[in-house]
Parts: sequence; C-alpha cells; structure tokens
Amino acid sequence: MARPAALDWYKDAVFYEVHVKAFMDGNGDGVGDFAGLTERLDYVQELGVDCLWILPMYPSPLRDDGYDIADFYGIHPSYGTVQDFQKFLDAAHARGLRVIADLVMNHTSDQHPWFQASRSGPSSGYADYYVWSPTDHRFPDARVIFVDTEKSNWTLDPARGAYYWHRFFSHQPDLNYDNPAVRRAMLDVMRFWLDRGLDGFRCDAVPYLVEREGTNCENLPETHAILKEFRAVIDREYGGARVLLAEANQWPEDVRPYFGDGDEFHMAFNFPLMPRLYLGLRLEDSRPITDIFTQMPPIPPACQWGLFLRNHDELTLEMVTNEERAFMYYAYARERDMKLNLGIRRRLAPLLDNDRRRVELLNCLLLTLPGSPIIYYGDEIGMGDNVLLGDRNGVRTPMQWSRDRNAGFSKADPDALYLPVIADPVYGYEAVNVAAQMPQPSSLLNVMRQLLAARRTSSVFGRGTIEFLRPRNSRVLAYLRRLEDETLLIVANLSAAPQPVELDLVAFAGVAPTEMLGGTTFPPIGRGPYFLSLGPHGFYWFRLEHPGDGDRPYGIEGTPI
Amino acid sequence: MTAGLAVALPPDVERQLENLAPAEVAVSVPTYNNAATISKVVAAIRAGLEKYFEGVPAVLINTDAGSSDGTTERVGEAALPLVRAIHPAPPGQLAAVPFHGIPGRGASIQLSLGIARHLGARALVVLEADAVSIDDEWLERLVRPVLEPGADLVLPVHARHRYDGTMTNLVLAPLVGALFGRRLHQPFAGARAMSARLLDRLAEAPWPPPGRSETDLWLTGTAIAEDFAVREARLGPWRVESNTRATDLPTMVAQTLGAVFSLMDGYEELWRRPAADVPTPSEGAAAPPPGDPARVDVERMLRAFQRGLSDLGTIWEQVLAPETWGDVLSLESGDPARFHFPDELWARAVYDFAVGHHHHVVYHDHLLRSFVPLYLGRTAAFVLATRARDAAAAEAALDATAAAFEEQKPYLVDRW
Repeated sequence: MARPAALDWYKDAVFYEVHVKAFMDGNGDGVGDFAGLTERLDYVQELGVDCLWILPMYPSPLRDDGYDIADFYGIHPSYGTVQDFQKFLDAAHARGLRVIADLVMNHTSDQHPWFQASRSGPSSGYADYYVWSPTDHRFPDARVIFVDTEKSNWTLDPARGAYYWHRFFSHQPDLNYDNPAVRRAMLDVMRFWLDRGLDGFRCDAVPYLVEREGTNCENLPETHAILKEFRAVIDREYGGARVLLAEANQWPEDVRPYFGDGDEFHMAFNFPLMPRLYLGLRLEDSRPITDIFTQMPPIPPACQWGLFLRNHDELTLEMVTNEERAFMYYAYARERDMKLNLGIRRRLAPLLDNDRRRVELLNCLLLTLPGSPIIYYGDEIGMGDNVLLGDRNGVRTPMQWSRDRNAGFSKADPDALYLPVIADPVYGYEAVNVAAQMPQPSSLLNVMRQLLAARRTSSVFGRGTIEFLRPRNSRVLAYLRRLEDETLLIVANLSAAPQPVELDLVAFAGVAPTEMLGGTTFPPIGRGPYFLSLGPHGFYWFRLEHPGDGDRPYGIEGTPI
Repeated sequence: MTAGLAVALPPDVERQLENLAPAEVAVSVPTYNNAATISKVVAAIRAGLEKYFEGVPAVLINTDAGSSDGTTERVGEAALPLVRAIHPAPPGQLAAVPFHGIPGRGASIQLSLGIARHLGARALVVLEADAVSIDDEWLERLVRPVLEPGADLVLPVHARHRYDGTMTNLVLAPLVGALFGRRLHQPFAGARAMSARLLDRLAEAPWPPPGRSETDLWLTGTAIAEDFAVREARLGPWRVESNTRATDLPTMVAQTLGAVFSLMDGYEELWRRPAADVPTPSEGAAAPPPGDPARVDVERMLRAFQRGLSDLGTIWEQVLAPETWGDVLSLESGDPARFHFPDELWARAVYDFAVGHHHHVVYHDHLLRSFVPLYLGRTAAFVLATRARDAAAAEAALDATAAAFEEQKPYLVDRW
C-alpha cells in the first residue's frame, strides 16, 4: 500500500516488535532467520502494523540475547547474511512496511575485536575505546542495574590489569564516548545500515553513554550532547525520515530531555505508563493511569511516545513506587520464579490470567492513549510464557503459527529449537496459533486486526491531545482525544463487573456519538450528564462530530444529490 | 384496465377503487412520517390542479410505508378524490431511511402505477412529500407535456447553485448519461410524470426487487431504451425538510451510486449500447438559483482526499485498475494551486468502481463508502477550476465531464 511519505510517519505508526530467531525458521536449523521472517511478511502486513522493530541481529556470543554485540557490521550467522537482511528489508518496503533495528550504543560484547584489542594495554589503537580504571572506586554513585547477577559496575581484566566499566553484565564493557574515535566509529555503524535502507534505530540503554565523577552517571548533559550530534548527522545525511527511538527507562522528567528541542530522539518509550495500566486494571481504578499523565511533561511537536504493554524484557517496575511494586508482585507474579530484577517476566495473556476481556481492554488503551503503540510478537494471538526457561527467555519462545510440529515455526528436530515451543494445555501451540485464529472472526487475532484497522481511520490517535473526563465512577476511564476539529471519546471499564457512568459532555450537546468499531450511532448528547453502561472490561471508541460539522466542513453536503 | 399488471392491487385498494370515477391525472405522493410537511405539499397539489387543470378529473394517491405520525390523516385534508395504500418496506430501510425518503420506494411506485392504470389516468405524476419548495407551477410543468401528447416521461431540472448537487453533477448524471446514451441533468430527482403509454409498458416489464432504490432509475432507463419520449421540465429550487431521510454524505453517496451499480448488474441490456451525446429536450424557462451559495471548503475536501489515499489505499488498490490507481496516486493534492483531476481519469475511476462492484472485489458497502474521499477530491478540483469563472464556464466544465464518461464507455464495457 502506498503511504504518504511524511517525515514524521512514526507519529501515526504502529510498531511490531519481533525477534528474528523467534519468528520463522526458513532453513530448518531450529533458529528463526531473515529468510523465514521474509516469508511471514504477509502476516505482518495483514495484521495492520506499520513498522517492524527487529531485536539485535548482529553477530554475538548471545550471552544477553544479542545485546552483547561482537560485530556491528554483520548479521548473526544463525539469522542469515547481510544479503538476506537486504532481501528482507526490500520485501518489507515493497509491502509499505518500515523497519527499525536495535542498536546497542552503550556497550559491546567482551568478544568484540575492539575490546579484545583494548585489553592488550594502553599502547593499543583501541586502548581508549572502553572505560578503564586502575581501581574499582570511581563513579561510586552509579547504581548497579542488574542487581540479581552483578555486584559492581567494575570488573578486573587480568590481561590489562585494570578494571573496566560496565553498567550491565560484566561481559558487556561500556564504550568510552569521551573518545571522539568511538563516536565516529558508532556513526559509521549507523551509516552502514541506513545506507541499506533501514528506517531507523531503537537505541538501547542510552542514558549511560558518559560517566562523570560525583554523578549517578545517568542522563548527563554530555550524553545528550553526543546524541544530538548523532541526530544532526543522520538528519543531514538521510533527509529526516529516519527515526531514532530511545530506550531510557527513567522517570518522565528524566526522559523528557532525550527529546531535546525536537533535535535529539524522535521517540522514547513511555516506561512509567505501562505498569500503571496494569495497576489500574488490577485495582479497578482509573486514578493510577490519570495521575501519571499529570506528571507527563509535554514533548516537542515532532516527538512521540512509544507505548507498549509487554516487550522482550521483564515487565519493568523500576518506574513505580515501592508500595505499588509490592502490589504488582502480589497481583501479577505470585510464584517466585516470575519475578526478575525489578520486573515480572511474563507475557500479556498469562499476566491477565488469559482473560480475553482484559487482554482486549489493555490493547484498547494501548491503541488509544497518546503515542505510537508497540505490539510484542505473539501477544496478538495471546501467546503464553514459560517461566522455567530462565532469565527473560520465557517470553522469547517460537511464534506459534499452527498446530503442526514445532508450532509451524521450524522443520527442525524439536530438540534443535533455540528454545522449546510453549506446549502447556492452555497457551500451548496446539491451542493458541495463527492458523486456528485466522478464520475465526471472534479470535483475538481478528479483534486486534479490527482495532488496528479502526486506529488507522484517524490520525487523532497518534497526534491528538488527551483530556481526561474524571467521572464520579472511578472504575471507568474516559478521555477525549482531539486534533483540529476531530474529537474521539474513549470510555473503558477497568472493572470486572458491569459499570454505569455519567460523563460531562455538555460541550458536545447535540452530537450523536458514533461508535467506531461497530459503526452504531448512539443517542445524542444533551445538556445533562451523558449516561453509558459498560459490560465487564468493556470499552467504546466514539467519534464525536457536531451535526453542524456535516454541513460546514465541505459546503457541499446540503444537497449533493 | 388492469390487463397486464404484473402485481395485483391489495384488496383494500381494490375496494377504494370500486367507488372512484376514472381520472385523467393521478398525483401520487409516497409518504413516510412526513406530517410536518405533507399539508404544504398537498395544498400545492390542489392549487396546481385548480389553477392549471380546471375540470380535468384528478385523483390523489397516497402510498405510505407505515407512518406513525399522522401523515396519512393529513393527506385527507386535501378534499380531493383519494386512494390510500400501505406498502411493505424492508425493516432496515424503516430504521435508516434511504436518500429518497421512502422505505420500499420501488413497491410504492409500483402501487401508484397499478392504481393510475386502474383509473385510466393519462398521466401519473409522482411528487415528494417533504419537498417544501413545491409551488403550484410544478404540477403544470411536469404534467402538461404528458397530457398534450408528446412526452412519456418528464423529469425535473431544479434551479441550483453550481456547487449544489455535486454528486449528481460530477458522478451520477455523467455516469447515467453515458450508460443510457442520453444526457439527463438530475437522474435522481424524486418527482416525475409518466404517460399512460409508458405505464402500460412498465406494467409488463421486469421490475427491480421492490426493496431497493434503483426503481426510478430503471424506469428512466427503460423509457430511454425503448424510445419513449423523455423530457425535462425546469422547476424552481428544490428544498427538502425531512426528519427521516439519510443526510450524511457517505450514506447518500453509497445509496445513490449503489443504485446505479445495482441497475448495471441487473439490467445490462439497458446500458451496454454505445454511448451517444443526446441532449434531453426541456420545458420551461430556467429559474434563478436560490439565494446564497454554501461556502465551499476546498482545503478540507483535499485533506479528506489525502486521508483517503492513506487510509483507504488498500481498498482503492483492489478496486481501481493498476493504471488508474497509479494516476490517482500521482495527483498533486498537496497544492491546491496545482491540483487538477482530469475528466478522463475520473471517468475511468468511476467505471473501475462499477466493475469492482460487479465483481464483488470488496464488500459492497465498503466499496461504495470508500468512494467518498475520491468524490471529494474530484469535487475540490471542480471548485478550484471554476470558482473564479462564470456560470457558463462551470456548465462547460460539466459538459466536458459528461463527454469524458461517454468517450470512456468502451473502457467500461471491456472491463465488465
């Protein structure tokens, strides 16, 4: 499908996050690859998303699922070659789909040749590519992020006889961005992929690029200066339609600077909102959701939040208070194995007890709150997880295409799969798969397609303002989305019981709301409160158009016939 | 009198007819909840009959789709010989009344025709119960050509501002004109007068299903195809006051265009002949258009067209032929100063939609509604091309559009 080539296409886009290894195995070796992903692009297109986000695809020892990159210029041999990637990218573009890829800027694998060279000592050409120290006492105010596995941000390298700095795992040494050669090298890496047509990068772990004594080494002005420099170069050389998406798992006021004045990142994930959606649902109370928006700083017009319900990492709870966190653990992760770091390692459907109504409700919010939604592969069919697989692997299992062997994902021997398919009776591939849901009109997959199609009918979702209505019944979340003269009203019941709600819509008196998913026109809004009743976890998407709008807008509606 | 009538009249109608004298002029007013306006329309009918047809025996026929607001009682106020008939209507049309205002309009027309023939009427005129701009002259201009032998079908041409009736002017009239080989100004007008000769012929013809909206169009097409004398009568402005008619643009577009497409599917013999550029003779002097024209928002129409390109591309891609789709994509809609929608491309696009409808490439309602932004784009181009010019230039632009539809007709026939 031809789409207008707006530079800010990402503001209207829906993203689909996918692991190459997990989506489709084209060569039968048990690991998904670009050939397989290319085969399945029709599915992605028909789902109704706009842009794929590819998780790390580079050569890597895979000790952190590819976030430990050993060569920025290649494709991991299990996934194919740079040529395979190019074929995939061209095929995606031919379908009107865009593609962004993960890029880890902060660190490399300890297997990367830069690090190996750096270890050999101060005389190496790469000596200053990483952050070295004779002691492990520098930057003591920087917290340890992976508290479950790492004791310190410093690890002694016996070869060089010095400590190297790492904010994540000890096998992921941080690059030294104070070194201009490192900055030039990283820009060259970006150019290499952008030259191939890639539509942008999701930049991993950006707050940690620069370290300074006496700070927590996060979000430093020096880091922002470097990111702005990268953005300027990419805009200048590639015409402004390539997007940079920041992973900055920070509080809203700390994320805001990553947008700069519209001259740093185009997009950043909205980390604080996500846990509150779960919290609001579990508490059956709209206030956790409305409250977080009061803390959400305005962002530059060309920028956009990235919204998500789940992703490849644990459901991160860093951005909630301790009290909220305790409640989330209580509510969503009763078994000990389900907790990891400061998060919960589960997929969407099992997090919600496989309750279709709650799954649809959260997706409704995902698609209608301000920002560009990101859907994690498999969540559109309600895939489950396997918490016994360790680390975050439980949510990275093969896509479930059909009830054939290996869920239709691979022709390999089941033992050869990179991870076993989900096979439990509730979420297993025999019960939950694309082939079964495709022909069934009421399946989650088809409901998702319907919601996505409805979202495409209006640019208000991606670009409009939000205004909460705050009805007396706080179990109902209601908000207006507006853009120019278009207004949408979203009403969602967070409760498992039917709820009545009275909305103050006097400003729209005379308007007959049209429900967008079914096309039904509701009774006109009067001068008093507007009454609605919602079924358990039910929701409405209304289009509010003044009757006058029909005459005024074009000037030809009075007597067209 | 009733020989050859395809459908028998209901028993209660037969009983009413037993007590009625024959009539020369039958005036039919189909109704559905028109209590607010029916008295005005009936008064105009009575005044018109008294003023222009004194001494001519006349009858009023009120076919009703099941009004619940006292409409039929008010029809009785006219103090004219009256036949009342209730006809069935599809439940869906009762809930959402089509653009012409009468659920089950086909059944209504068919009933009127049966009654008029039974009474030996030389002319049957159908009027609209909610057209409040009616005056006594309408009756004269519609009926006179039929009574003074010469015309078999008289269709109205209402005085309109150049940007009124854009759906008719830019889509329906050129399309219907090319199909039937006859230029008609307002093929979807709700009023019409018919001769006894035409009524006799229609009584034997295969009517479209009564629940649909193409009956009037079929009737016109049949009259043209069989060389009945078709005329147009110039009337004053057309203004409707209705609480029931569909008034939202997409619905009106879907219903009217859908009616043409359904007719094309069901009656190929009516339209497959080569197109000809035959104007329709018209009666009466043109009335001046009504007061202030609407303020037309071209930029908004262009935005709707652009949004259509992005949101409905997946549908248009399936409906339009690849060349047409490519040409539509390359229109410069971003810049009003340069936006131009060639007539030839427009004709192909409309024909592609007809073919897509015929072959069911997309669910019919989606196909028809997806046409709206395309129509808005074409309308914007028309306004841009004519707003700084005089009325004659606007007329010439519409003539060029009609000619393009005629020229492109072989394209339609090939793709069908």
